[in-house]
Amino acid sequence: MQDLLYFLQQLINGLTIGSAYALIAIGYTMVYGIIGMINFAHGEIYMIGAYTALITITGLAALGIAWLPLILIVALICAVLVSSSMGWAVERVAYRPVRGRHRLIPLISAIGMSIFLQNYVHLAQGSRNIGFPALIQGGFQFGSPDSFQTSISYMQITIFITTLICMTALSLFISRSRTGRACRAVSQDLGMANLLGIDTNRIISATFIIGASLAAVAGLLLGMYYGSIDPLFGFIAGLKAFTAAVLGGIGSIPGAMLGGLILGVSESMTSGYLSGEYKDVVSFGLLILILLFKPTGLLGKPEVEKI
Amino acid sequence: MRTSVKKLATAVSASVALMAAGQATAEIKIGIAGPMTGPVAQYGDMQFSGARMAIEQINANGGVDGEMLEAVEVDDVCDPKQAVTVANRLVNEGVQYVVGHLCSSSTQPASDIYEDEGVLMITPASTSPDITERGYELVFRTIGLDSMQGPVAGRYIASLNPERVAVVHDKQQYGEGIATAVRDTLNASGVEVAMFEGITAGDKDFSSLITKLKQADVDYVYYGGYHPELGLILRQARQADLDAIFMGPEGVGNKDINTIAGEAAEGLLVTLPPSFDQKAENQALVQAFADKGEDPSGPFVLTSYTAVQLIADGIEQAASTDPADVAATLRANSFQTPIGTVQYDDKGDMQSFEFVVYEWHSDGSKTPVN
Repeated sequence: MQDLLYFLQQLINGLTIGSAYALIAIGYTMVYGIIGMINFAHGEIYMIGAYTALITITGLAALGIAWLPLILIVALICAVLVSSSMGWAVERVAYRPVRGRHRLIPLISAIGMSIFLQNYVHLAQGSRNIGFPALIQGGFQFGSPDSFQTSISYMQITIFITTLICMTALSLFISRSRTGRACRAVSQDLGMANLLGIDTNRIISATFIIGASLAAVAGLLLGMYYGSIDPLFGFIAGLKAFTAAVLGGIGSIPGAMLGGLILGVSESMTSGYLSGEYKDVVSFGLLILILLFKPTGLLGKPEVEKI
Repeated sequence: MRTSVKKLATAVSASVALMAAGQATAEIKIGIAGPMTGPVAQYGDMQFSGARMAIEQINANGGVDGEMLEAVEVDDVCDPKQAVTVANRLVNEGVQYVVGHLCSSSTQPASDIYEDEGVLMITPASTSPDITERGYELVFRTIGLDSMQGPVAGRYIASLNPERVAVVHDKQQYGEGIATAVRDTLNASGVEVAMFEGITAGDKDFSSLITKLKQADVDYVYYGGYHPELGLILRQARQADLDAIFMGPEGVGNKDINTIAGEAAEGLLVTLPPSFDQKAENQALVQAFADKGEDPSGPFVLTSYTAVQLIADGIEQAASTDPADVAATLRANSFQTPIGTVQYDDKGDMQSFEFVVYEWHSDGSKTPVN
């Protein structure tokens, strides 16, 4: 019984972190799906989302506003606005001028953007860890109080529910809306979509904005869940989310969700049953294995050579 | 007429420039190398503030044998690669004495360069035993070793008769070194170490580790590493209702842990060098810091002050500015400093340096427990 509770607890831990990875991974996978480049500055967009949320929360607290839902909603809106305009601006400034060139050029531009944004936040906000107020506290406990108890906190539940809402909304948007259909068309064939009268520049901008908004949501959620943020906050999360996107099949949105969850659970199970030291070894080992046997990732479509 | 005025002007300005150059050579450059930016910059602040104060006071008292000290400050971000770069820069600028570096993992590669280039280095903060294990002539420190700090922590935990203890570290030279010393001390005193495990520095999510600690049902958790990770562990442990008592080395003992952990920092145990700023004989110095609006209570402020003072005293007593002569003088004599009497052994370690166990509070203050 106790072993089962322990397993459940590690599963909850893994799913929490995994759903946040999935939210960030969407940004990588959508951009790759549409213009075939890896947006390495995406982790920084997520970090900027977390900083904006923290600044908003501190500002609201200074104004004496204490009603939690209002604080969270305002913080969320500000984070999404700042991050998505940042995502849009990054594409406009650093990627659009070099689009269509050799693959390496946008890649280097993206790495440069990532370094720039990281150092910008270093300068503007200082390099120290800043504590994030614990706004959502408490949770449910299972099991007898004398032995091991599985707990699921309200914060974890918030992360699951928010991720679920975002993912459902995104799926509906992609499958039902006009812009969503245009997104799919552009990802299948950019040149043809252009010929058929789709404003591809607008669709590409929309992709960056959607990815950045989801990253901002993840920034707010994970900032609260972890409890502190720093300018390097986005780097590791970005790397993990990128791994999740590749694991699930880069370019595939359900793949990013699945990849995020698998990565999160494999990390927490490795820490829980082996040792925290092997966490990254196992997740990246898993990535190599999957790529060896299924180079397109779990849900990626095999690339058809266009003639 | 015009040309002769011009010539005169050139001659005057050239001689002024020569005089200025003549004055500039009568200075002893002291390199101060530590993190000005990066996640542990607040320890760097302590180091720079202590060393600057010593240089100011020595210069105000007429310098070292009439020569002024000049600080050359560099930022190593506590990153081993940066440390090597800035060490080379100091050597190129003709610096012969260095106070630094701060993190053991930076001090170790930088000290290779200093030793090769004949630069004397005194680290005011690095506690890894490896640094002085290599038979170097020019490497000293004004702080104790992990091998002294670990046993103090281990013996303290053992004295509380715990049932089960977990030892966690950040896999870095400093953290793992201390954690290993703590584990060995606990094992030697017959305490069961239920878990010995590393985390990755820079990680944010410790829920799996905390679940594991809960499962192992430990009373005490020793963490070898720095405050950004321990702050998060404390906070997430509090949220998961883990009721173990945490303990850490001086790398976690600063006020930034309170901004991360908040209330959860209450009751954390920390081994720190004794509060040198509380000593009666240092009160004039403490006042001097207060006049500048600086806080001398950090663990590395007065050790850095002492490092500069030792360089100055060493040069004076050796009557030479050759780092090799100064190193020999430092080894041969004992010195009265704000951190007590400093006497070096052959390796460049202080012969005695004590660590004290403090209880940390959620407002950033601390009280000694023994």
